[in-house]
Amino acid sequence: MTTTTVPSAFAPSARMLVVLRNALLPILLVAEVIFFTVAAPGFLSAANLANVVINSADLALLAAGVTLVVLLAGIDVSVGPMLGVVAWVGATLFVAGTPPPLVVVIALLLGGALGAVNGALVVGGRISPIITTLGTAAIFKTVLFILWDSTDVFAGPVVPALGPARAGGLPLVGLVVLAVFGVLAYVLRHRVFGRRLFAIGNDAEGARLLGVPVGRTAFAAYVLVGVLVGLAALIYVGRVGVVQATAGNELTLPAIAAVVVGGTSILGGEGGVLRTLGGLAFIALLQNGVVLMGVPPLWNGVLVGAAVALAVAFDVLTRRTLDKRIGARK
Amino acid sequence: MTTGALPRRPLRDRVSDRRVFLAVLVVALGALMSLLSPYFLEVGNLLAMTQYGAVIGLLALGVSLVILGGRGGIDLSVGSALSLSGIVMGLLAQNLGLSPWLAALVTVAFGALLGSVNGFMVARLGLPPLIVTLSTLFLYGALAQVLTDGGQLGGFNREGFAALGQSAILGVPAQVLLVLAPAFAVAIWAQNRTAFGRRLHQIGTSDRAAALVGIDVNQLRFRLYCLSGALAALGAVVTNAWLLTARPSAGLGMELQAITIAVLGGIHIFGGRGHLSGVLLALAVVVVLSWGLQLAQVGNSVQTGILGLVLVGAALLNNLLSRRAPG
Repeated sequence: MTTTTVPSAFAPSARMLVVLRNALLPILLVAEVIFFTVAAPGFLSAANLANVVINSADLALLAAGVTLVVLLAGIDVSVGPMLGVVAWVGATLFVAGTPPPLVVVIALLLGGALGAVNGALVVGGRISPIITTLGTAAIFKTVLFILWDSTDVFAGPVVPALGPARAGGLPLVGLVVLAVFGVLAYVLRHRVFGRRLFAIGNDAEGARLLGVPVGRTAFAAYVLVGVLVGLAALIYVGRVGVVQATAGNELTLPAIAAVVVGGTSILGGEGGVLRTLGGLAFIALLQNGVVLMGVPPLWNGVLVGAAVALAVAFDVLTRRTLDKRIGARK
Repeated sequence: MTTGALPRRPLRDRVSDRRVFLAVLVVALGALMSLLSPYFLEVGNLLAMTQYGAVIGLLALGVSLVILGGRGGIDLSVGSALSLSGIVMGLLAQNLGLSPWLAALVTVAFGALLGSVNGFMVARLGLPPLIVTLSTLFLYGALAQVLTDGGQLGGFNREGFAALGQSAILGVPAQVLLVLAPAFAVAIWAQNRTAFGRRLHQIGTSDRAAALVGIDVNQLRFRLYCLSGALAALGAVVTNAWLLTARPSAGLGMELQAITIAVLGGIHIFGGRGHLSGVLLALAVVVVLSWGLQLAQVGNSVQTGILGLVLVGAALLNNLLSRRAPG
């Protein structure tokens, strides 16, 4: 409203802005790797990088899920506590001797069901996504607390591919993550469901007028988030080896941070899972490098919070300039 | 918005007013609790109940103002702002040896500063409030931890400062009588009787229309976030006077309570609609509810989930009511 008009001589051209927007994350990633290679001994070793992959695989799937609803101009702040509930159920079933394939199926179904709760409240109840998921996050936390009942559940990886196992130095779980991101990237780009997500995120009313089933698509997106959380929960069990009362709570912000830092617009309609993978790599390497440098882990929240604020500022400011340049209105 | 000038409102309108519903709910809950537990209505319990309510009431007031200001306004950082302000006050009082009263003043100003960071990013840069305050939620919370290395601070039990949090005047806790009640009284008066209140509803309803009648939309919205930060810091001052220690996790999860109270109080999440007097009643409901659960030995972890249910239920209720009402 009161944005000052920049003298045109100093204003970057629209094309330059687009290039800058797309190139920023790769540049930052390279700069980050160079910085930590110099500052933190052992950072660029194969063993350390494999560790980073294993330690951030569950987070990657959460971030992929959050990307889907952010594309819709929604949000899901319940993914962390939701993961905790599914992790408890999965670990408990596994310890009780349930066949591993069945555990996987149940975890995916349970995740999908919990996601459907969010979807039903957002679409059917017409509650804003933030209020819905803030509420269900609290409910999921309590559900886990009641299930946990003062007893930690210790369990190993349900199947080897969902644990820290490596094949020839390559972490298997990394391949699972890549496969999921590959499928999602394909669906978002080439399938009707994916294109509808973008259409709704850009202009829900316009999409509805064009015949896009807005409610059904949004509901499906929230269910899909739950399914991804279900898979992530089993990876979490394989990585941590124990499910405690607050399992998963710490993962919500980094998941949203990966989406935002990756450059998926929080206003919806622009972005994708591959960008999220880049954002996730940036955050995972940042947390790892900082620990290797000997900075106390208490600083993690400060760094991630600052990264999110800067990324959003950059995204919204360049987007607005671009919109003004090309005469688009949003 | 204000219907004070009209002589009569239809009975159905008055019954479906959120505040009537909340008032009935408070009484019903209170009656139920006192039946379930003979200790519920004891004077000591009523005291402790409202002492706890004073802090989250201040946060809920700040969040309500921000939501009323519209354009997706929300402040998720209030809990962390409370934690960080409390720690800053501890550093001033304990490490610098400042008088707790003076430290409290500085702390409220510091809280406004924390709010102004949100306000700057939201109102001046036009960034989405949800993400801005989510990132400051983690930023402020983590800073509070970093500043104390995870430990706690004290130095508040001097110069009669504890009286603010631990004494009662005519049976009413000092922080309720001297802080919470005046804050809500001023806010309710301002909402209904001043130009500020009218402007608040105008920017909450339509940015464009408000700008066209000459309101500096961005400045007003910036101030709302500052106000929310200052109220959170005031909550920290009250907490420090009450518990006499400042912990970096003091405000953890309080944003959920604050937003629940705002939504339950009938503040419409898209801005421009709702009464702060309704928020005060919702505060009473939540305080009675959590105190009753406490007496029934339902732990904090379970209360969190019940609060989540209340939040979702209240939001559903808001939608049902607003669907029926015109506009």
